[in-house]
Amino acid sequence: MNFNITIPKDGSRLDVSGLELSAGRRSVIFGPNGAGKTTLIEYLSSGEGLGASGRTSYLQQRPHMFRGTAGFNLGLGLDAEATAWATQLAGRLGVATNLEQNAPSLSGGEKHRLALARVLATPADWVLLDEPMAPIDFAERPDILTLLAGVLDGRSAVVVTHDINVVAALADHLVILDRGRIIDQGEASRVLGSPSVVRSAEILGKANLISGMAESTGGLCVLEAGDVHITGVGSVDGPGRALFGAEAVTLRLARSGHDLSNRNTWIGRVESISHQGRLVEVVVDIGVRIVAAVTPGALVDLGIEPGVDVGVAVKAAAITIVST
Amino acid sequence: MEFLGEVVGDAFAAFSDFGPELLEVIGLTLVVSGVSTVLGVLLGVPLGTMLALERFPGSGILRTFVNVGMGVPPVLVGLGVLLVFWSAGPLGSLGLVFTPAAMVVAQVVLAIPVAAGVTRGAVGGLAPEVIREIRALHLPATMRYRLAIGEARAGVGAAVVAAFGRVISEVGAVLIVGGNILGETRVLTTLIVQESRQARFGIAIAAGMVLLAISLIVNLSLGRLHHPLGVGM
Repeated sequence: MNFNITIPKDGSRLDVSGLELSAGRRSVIFGPNGAGKTTLIEYLSSGEGLGASGRTSYLQQRPHMFRGTAGFNLGLGLDAEATAWATQLAGRLGVATNLEQNAPSLSGGEKHRLALARVLATPADWVLLDEPMAPIDFAERPDILTLLAGVLDGRSAVVVTHDINVVAALADHLVILDRGRIIDQGEASRVLGSPSVVRSAEILGKANLISGMAESTGGLCVLEAGDVHITGVGSVDGPGRALFGAEAVTLRLARSGHDLSNRNTWIGRVESISHQGRLVEVVVDIGVRIVAAVTPGALVDLGIEPGVDVGVAVKAAAITIVST
Repeated sequence: MEFLGEVVGDAFAAFSDFGPELLEVIGLTLVVSGVSTVLGVLLGVPLGTMLALERFPGSGILRTFVNVGMGVPPVLVGLGVLLVFWSAGPLGSLGLVFTPAAMVVAQVVLAIPVAAGVTRGAVGGLAPEVIREIRALHLPATMRYRLAIGEARAGVGAAVVAAFGRVISEVGAVLIVGGNILGETRVLTTLIVQESRQARFGIAIAAGMVLLAISLIVNLSLGRLHHPLGVGM
């Protein structure tokens, strides 16, 4: 399905000429904040967008819960069979709430999961998700991403995100959006290896994309970039790229030593620190530059400042390796 | 000053002198305004919700109708309803001229735009994510409207108060279509007009006090209902 439209957005216009979306595939629209992702998915969810040719099931960035119980909100618009499916999905998404509880008083994260469960269980021609992983704790993300990838497999889905991990886990088709324009789109495997991803990752500043030579070893994949070995998920032999979000990187004291449970642990020198909203971005040189997003508290606890040595760790499961 | 003291004294005397007569007028006022408010709200609130949530061919015209209707002079509505029910008019065969039923019809016509207009403002003023959520759900229209009204309940409560205020205070329409016949179509407002014209200020003031008391009681009890915290205004 092709879209050749411009959508008004805060005075300027969002130009999505040539946007391609295919039925039966998971399309991910990736770009930095302010690129026009939410404007685009709102448009797609409406009767003028994908709603013109079929039913859409749409998860907003901040879903609203109506007066009533969590169960009432979970089952809105669903028949008995779909409600049962939604209830099961809610459990798997980690909704710990009693469904008899009053929905508007739930936490933002619980509301999001309930709405996500309902949206996924809604029989629709198109599933549209706006930042589905944003309010989910980092520790839970890998499992929930796997669940999402499975549930959406074979369905017609459009997911917008600024999280490279979501791109890596979900995208069949990838669209790169920046400042209201499509920079690149196509097969995710091709686009992920193309320079446009690096460009938008630079704009983004919160994603790590490290190029090198990859070798697969029994399910995992090791990427060699200079002296640094990075272990991640993938099956690439030859030139490749490791992708992981800045939130996936943990920093620790340099003297705390090697962590056996983590393949990816390094010692590096802090290059720069910049405050980005509630998180702090720390650039560490471990032989290659790695961006970590940490809380201001961690910064103080670890005595992080430019020039000091710090331990860096990333779980292999949080790293995707693609071929370039 | 002496004069004002005198008429207030007359007002209290009127309660005992014209008690049964006044009771009848109060009863008819409550029935006509009550029924009109209920019907006006039942039709106007869903109309206002629909106008806030949907765009369809003619919705712009309907919106204009509602806006104009909120401010249309009651005497004009009374005249229109009178012509429709007049013996030679389109519904003349029903014989409703100068009956409480015709008064209800006129007041419902007055109440609908007020209920619809205030409701449209309340629902249309919901946060954009609430409206998008309502639109995104796979629900039949009636269920969508119910959700929207529930979210905008404080504003919809104000719509009910406004609709009641429009009909209870209104004199022009009921005077024209009802005819102000004692014991049949005389209500508190038309009673005040009648008595003032004959300089019988005591009864006029007594009727005015009752009217104020009704408004106060109804508004206080509706306020209790529509206030988000469930407490009085």
